[in-house]
Amino acid sequence: MMLRKVIRLISKSHKYDVLVYTSFCHTVFQFSRSFCQMLHSGCFLHVGTKASQSIAVSLDTQVLGEKCRTISRTQENDPVKTFNEACLMVREPALELLHYLRSTNFANPAIRYVIYGEKGTGKTLTLCHAVHFCAKQNWLIMHVPDAHCWVKNCRDLLQSTYNKERYDQPLKASTWLKNFKTSNERFLNQIKIQQKYIWNKRESIEEGRPLGEVVEQGLNRVKNASDAVGIVMKELKRQSSLGSFRLLVAVDSVNALWGRTTLKKEDKSLVAPEELTLVHNVKKMVTSDWHGGAIVVSLSQTGSLFKPRAAYLPQDLLGKEGFDDLDPFVPIQVYNYTPKEFESCIQYYLENRWLQHQKAHTEEGKKELLFLSNSNPWQLERLCAYL
Amino acid sequence: MKDRESSQSRSGKPAGSPSRLGRVLEPAKMAAPVVGSARCLCLLGPGVRRTLRALPGLTQVRWSRYDANYKEPQLDKDYYLKPLEELTEEEKFERDLRTTQIFKAPPASKTSSLFEDPVISKFTNMMMKGGNKILARSLMIETLETLKRKQFKKYHEAKAEERETIECNPYTIFHQALQNCQPILGLVSILKGGRFYQVPAPLTDRRRQFLAMKWMIQECREKKPRRMLMPEKLSHELLEAFHNQGPVVKRKHDLHKMAEANRAFAHYRWW
Repeated sequence: MMLRKVIRLISKSHKYDVLVYTSFCHTVFQFSRSFCQMLHSGCFLHVGTKASQSIAVSLDTQVLGEKCRTISRTQENDPVKTFNEACLMVREPALELLHYLRSTNFANPAIRYVIYGEKGTGKTLTLCHAVHFCAKQNWLIMHVPDAHCWVKNCRDLLQSTYNKERYDQPLKASTWLKNFKTSNERFLNQIKIQQKYIWNKRESIEEGRPLGEVVEQGLNRVKNASDAVGIVMKELKRQSSLGSFRLLVAVDSVNALWGRTTLKKEDKSLVAPEELTLVHNVKKMVTSDWHGGAIVVSLSQTGSLFKPRAAYLPQDLLGKEGFDDLDPFVPIQVYNYTPKEFESCIQYYLENRWLQHQKAHTEEGKKELLFLSNSNPWQLERLCAYL
Repeated sequence: MKDRESSQSRSGKPAGSPSRLGRVLEPAKMAAPVVGSARCLCLLGPGVRRTLRALPGLTQVRWSRYDANYKEPQLDKDYYLKPLEELTEEEKFERDLRTTQIFKAPPASKTSSLFEDPVISKFTNMMMKGGNKILARSLMIETLETLKRKQFKKYHEAKAEERETIECNPYTIFHQALQNCQPILGLVSILKGGRFYQVPAPLTDRRRQFLAMKWMIQECREKKPRRMLMPEKLSHELLEAFHNQGPVVKRKHDLHKMAEANRAFAHYRWW
């Protein structure tokens, strides 16, 4: 459910297919059981009606300790609709990342992990996997599915009341708050704010109130949504050091925070990313001056603005400013499928009857798919979609 | 225009009758080609076909730069993968002969891919506008994907007994739908006694296939709501045709009814 939630967030912004599939490894992974536990504890309410019909999440995979070989693909708009299940392929980069996350020392400042790679190799899904892992371990997840959404195609830019020079985005902020609320229900009542915040002349929030009220205020009064986001981020950053919860900051397409935007002010001059409240707040979260959690971030050229198609390295996509801000970080590169992973992917499609063409079942068909896709996960998925 | 060879028609058929070769003879727009062709014939190389001088007033519209010596290329991978031991004497002879023959270049759209389908290629070409094959192909691909997803959705919502009846293969749906749209008889305009009569006549397989595809594309282009995309509409129409319902199959039935109604004029046809 959490996985589906996360994937829905990602796929809404990315609009490409995400099928998640955990397939044949050799030890039991206990995914489904933990999902049921999570469902009972009531932390995931955002389960669509279609998903409720098919909660047969067949994630009983067998895992050889650290040598999982499960495969992840995502499906358009809803991972559950086509195959009635949500599965992930676990690949080497994700395993590496999970190993680091498992062995984090929460006394040290938060380490930044940057996932990069060529187009369609699985950066978003690796991030997704890390988020899922941390959610299972009961971390507090602060997930931004696509930072590119915030720097383009925004019709409503309000001048911020808090700081005259910044601009608010009420709709995007309220969407983020809604998703944050559904994914972190149980923490919202536990965490108390440590400062009084005044919204306007009539409304304010006292010290000691639960964080849930800030989120409610942001959702009810859309104008204050961006400020609510800022407050949430500030409080969480301050309080994660205390140790009552562990914070994971997961931002996809982080290169949007340092590039250019296509948004214009009323006098038709361009808005710089720093002038947006949401971007400003997230940038503060991504600096590693807090401890008690981790920052996992991925780059993306696909939705980026003014970046060449072939660029995939951190230096190219982040620019000098971004690279200096994120430096030092742990780079994790994601590659195309290995022959074993490719085989596994095809097997998954065959098991689920996705490859309907008769010739696709043959050896020559597989060879042709391998050649045409060059083992690129995205390309393979696009090819198998119509076969 | 000088380069256009004027040529004689292959057989002395009247202008209105359907020609098997598909060559349409049109009256020449200018008399110059007949005169200039003598010089042109010498300039052209030996591989180019030299046809006979046309009757004045008739030129060939569709012609090929290939001579009669040029053979069709063999694109089938299995033909070449057959090991030498399995070939019969005739096949070995044919292989040796091929080394001396000259071949036409295969068209860019033909591949040795396993997933190639001539019917789908033809349909894509018919959907294409202004030479934009990329767009036409992407529309076709999206249609197949939409078909698959719709059927998968139905499959998952159906009970266990009904699941076997649901066809999930977009290719079988496509082929069956087009089969269901093909008319058996068509109507031909025949001039008799100063009046044109619509006479029922048999159609060749190619013509039937062409009509089915044409009707499908016309239906999807003209009758869809403004904002609906082609793949969505096409997949919907294909599914309906697969179940022998929908406007395209209705059009086929209307044609059959017209042919049935005009039965009396069947004797006006002389071929």
